[in-house]
Amino acid sequence: MDHPVPIADIKRLIVQSLNLPGVNPADIDDDAPLFGTGLGLDSVDALELVVALEKAYGIQVADDQIGRKVFASARTLTDFVNERLGTPRGVAAGE
Amino acid sequence: MSGTRPRIFVTGLGAVTGFGAGVAALARGLRRGAPAISPVTTFDPGAHRTQLAGMAPLPPQREGDPAARLGRGERFAVQAAEEAIVHAGLGAAELTAAGVFFGSSNGGLLEGEAFFRRLRRRERRLGLRQVASHQNNGPGDAVARRFQCTGPVLTCSSACTSANMALAAALDALRAGECEVALAGGADALSEVTYAGFNALRAVDPGPSRPFRVDRAGLSMGEGAGVLLLETEAHARARGAVVLAELAGAGATCDAHHMSAPKDDALGPLHAMQRALDDAGESPSSVAFVNAHGTGTPHNDVVEARALRELFGERVADVPVTSTKSLVGHLLGACGGLEAVVCVLGLLYREVHPTGGDDPADPELGLDVVIGGVRRLAGARVALSNNLAFGGNNVTVVFRRAPHD
Amino acid sequence: MTTVVITGLGTIGGFGAGSEALAAALARGVAEVSELRDPAGYRDAGAVNAAALCRRNGEDLDLSPWLDPGRARRMSAPSRFAVAAARMALRDAGLPVERGPATRAVAMATTFGAGVFTERLLCEFLDSGPRTASPFLFTDCVASAPAGQIAIDLQATGPNVTVVQREAGPLLALIEGAREVASGRSDVVLAGHVDEIGTLVHAVLGKLGALCAPDEDGMIRPRPFGRTRRGFLAGEGSTVVVLERVADARARGARVLAKIIAHARAFDPTAPRADWGRGGAVLASMLRARLARLGLTPGDLDAVVSGASGSVRGDSLEAEVLRGLFGANMPPVFAPKAVTGEYGGGNLAAALVLLGGASCAQVTAPDMLDPALGIALHDGGLPARARRVLVSSLASGGAAAWVVLEKP
Repeated sequence: MDHPVPIADIKRLIVQSLNLPGVNPADIDDDAPLFGTGLGLDSVDALELVVALEKAYGIQVADDQIGRKVFASARTLTDFVNERLGTPRGVAAGE
Repeated sequence: MSGTRPRIFVTGLGAVTGFGAGVAALARGLRRGAPAISPVTTFDPGAHRTQLAGMAPLPPQREGDPAARLGRGERFAVQAAEEAIVHAGLGAAELTAAGVFFGSSNGGLLEGEAFFRRLRRRERRLGLRQVASHQNNGPGDAVARRFQCTGPVLTCSSACTSANMALAAALDALRAGECEVALAGGADALSEVTYAGFNALRAVDPGPSRPFRVDRAGLSMGEGAGVLLLETEAHARARGAVVLAELAGAGATCDAHHMSAPKDDALGPLHAMQRALDDAGESPSSVAFVNAHGTGTPHNDVVEARALRELFGERVADVPVTSTKSLVGHLLGACGGLEAVVCVLGLLYREVHPTGGDDPADPELGLDVVIGGVRRLAGARVALSNNLAFGGNNVTVVFRRAPHD
Repeated sequence: MTTVVITGLGTIGGFGAGSEALAAALARGVAEVSELRDPAGYRDAGAVNAAALCRRNGEDLDLSPWLDPGRARRMSAPSRFAVAAARMALRDAGLPVERGPATRAVAMATTFGAGVFTERLLCEFLDSGPRTASPFLFTDCVASAPAGQIAIDLQATGPNVTVVQREAGPLLALIEGAREVASGRSDVVLAGHVDEIGTLVHAVLGKLGALCAPDEDGMIRPRPFGRTRRGFLAGEGSTVVVLERVADARARGARVLAKIIAHARAFDPTAPRADWGRGGAVLASMLRARLARLGLTPGDLDAVVSGASGSVRGDSLEAEVLRGLFGANMPPVFAPKAVTGEYGGGNLAAALVLLGGASCAQVTAPDMLDPALGIALHDGGLPARARRVLVSSLASGGAAAWVVLEKP
């Protein structure tokens, strides 16, 4: 994968898929908490975000990754997506 | 509290589940304790996140059988209702003024999905006649129509609490004398979009569900029906009916917290159980066993266990708890109806069926979960059945052993 | 049964929002309709393409006076309509949104649930596979989502019931709610109904031949009990009322809209699944017997707000029941569903508004009536001395529910 997914794209995806009223993606701070405080998202938002990510980037998110660490902030989410995309599909590590 | 109201008796039982058609098949399956959770058969589960469910059998179609035109959920409902009526020994005349109180959360969605596919493909023959069963009142209406009932008929559709809600509504109507006989329970046929939806919530165990275990991983879905034939004491005695149990009380609350997560403080389920016991004129100390909602989702089991510990206090270690959903799956809108049948069987035979799986219960939950075999009870007078649902609804019904003169 | 009263009304529909908007529409006698766009092509060519929707000038009705956009972001339209109507009802009753010591409960009905969300869910997984199913859509798709959302919004921790019983749903929910309040288990009940008319549901109703076609001027006039009736006007929206025990209402000096003095429920097993049956005589005798048990005779009823909507067999059945009940002594009859539409519109709100002094234009002229039915529609408001109104709803599929409301 040549170009990493920019954090701006992830912010736009968050706002669109979660139907956040009046939130400008550019206003989401890179490191601000998404869940609990900050944007105040909850567990169903996390699941919705997972579906949106899977659709947009073709990655798969396992149940135990839908935790607070990966989804803590826009930055951790972007890093996670890029890490998953870094290995081209169909080629397992070590082959 | 219960002094001046008539007692409401259960005089017939009917069921269709993954263990097969009929209460006898259900009872055998519950005693054996091996889950009837197998690959989904009414649609191809291959592309879904999981593949298993408690699939129930439909009776073979007879030539010219009016039931053949009914949707799957409607057929489960009619079959279970018929069994309950025959079991109770009621004739057609006694059903004329009967009420029908059903719970269903899928209704005819399975047929609705097929219809929608045909519509999108612009097929000429859409099967519009079937469309009418698409609302959740399909199964209950089919029962009322089949048995020519003219009394109060309604369907409750509140996700997993639908059938317990219907039982509560039936209890209320019978106590008020609005009808003397009622068919009450629930029916649901598994549908693909519901299967996908629960998977989207990551709430489904890829294998058979293991409620109250340390490594519980979610629910198993199921389908089928559970129906009770209820009558007032006066009506039952007048015709010399055999009384199986008493539907003694019901209680309902709402967490009013979140659309798909229960509130951690467990007060909603606790108050529902307390209200149900108050309604029945019983106290927690008289409860012999609990048929838990027991879906096996990490969160549900924690909250329900907490509510049970709060209700029973130190006594909780002495109250056997089981989850029928671990053996036949979560019948969604119908689960309360089926679990009511199981409670009545438990009181009749003084036994509690095992929860599926061999692992021990999660010690942190502090419950006496029945595992490994049927638990025999020395005396069982009162049983609780819980339903906890999306949107935070909690409905508990209480059964009391039939008085034997 | 302890007397239960209605102390607040919230209502949203094709007529706009609130009882005044409804009263104005009833006085005009005709519904505002909006076109339903059909990008997926569900509708047959030439089929009815309009319904009484919660829209004004091409835009969704502004519900922001009652609905916080942050909370509404995950809600389906039925949930939004229902929460807004519930808040409106509470405000109308003079009760605070915050709960206080009273136990609040909810009893709602819906026919189609979240039709648009369900359709989107189905489309997504048919197009992109089941793993793309949206949790947002799924959780608000259950029939009980609107009732659940009302409970969260108003901290209603008492029982939360959702009834699905087509056209009889609204009154059945009202009856469940009234019994809950009368029992003393809950102190305030929000009872009502909600339905959304999306393009898919509307197209299917059209294919079933259930809808009234527009007149040449584009307006839809279903003409209940009329000779030329061919179907109903589909309507979306929500009506929610506040129910309390009369003693509590008096104690806080609440204004009472109506007392609920009787109710009845029955079923017509001659009804096919998607239509009305012909068991009007049996329904009438069940209703008469039930009223008698409550100490009422048909002569005690001063008016009827019927569920007649313009449907061919539904109106026939309504007429048969009314004739069976009243014989030659028919009181004034109203048919507000010609204006509010069927399903989300409902006639409960109209009945309350009429009790409050509104008037309803004669939606079917005398020379347009079906002589076989023997029912004429009243022109204007309730007669001055009218105190008790029978509100009637007969569902396709067979269920029936009635309520008798009394002027306070």
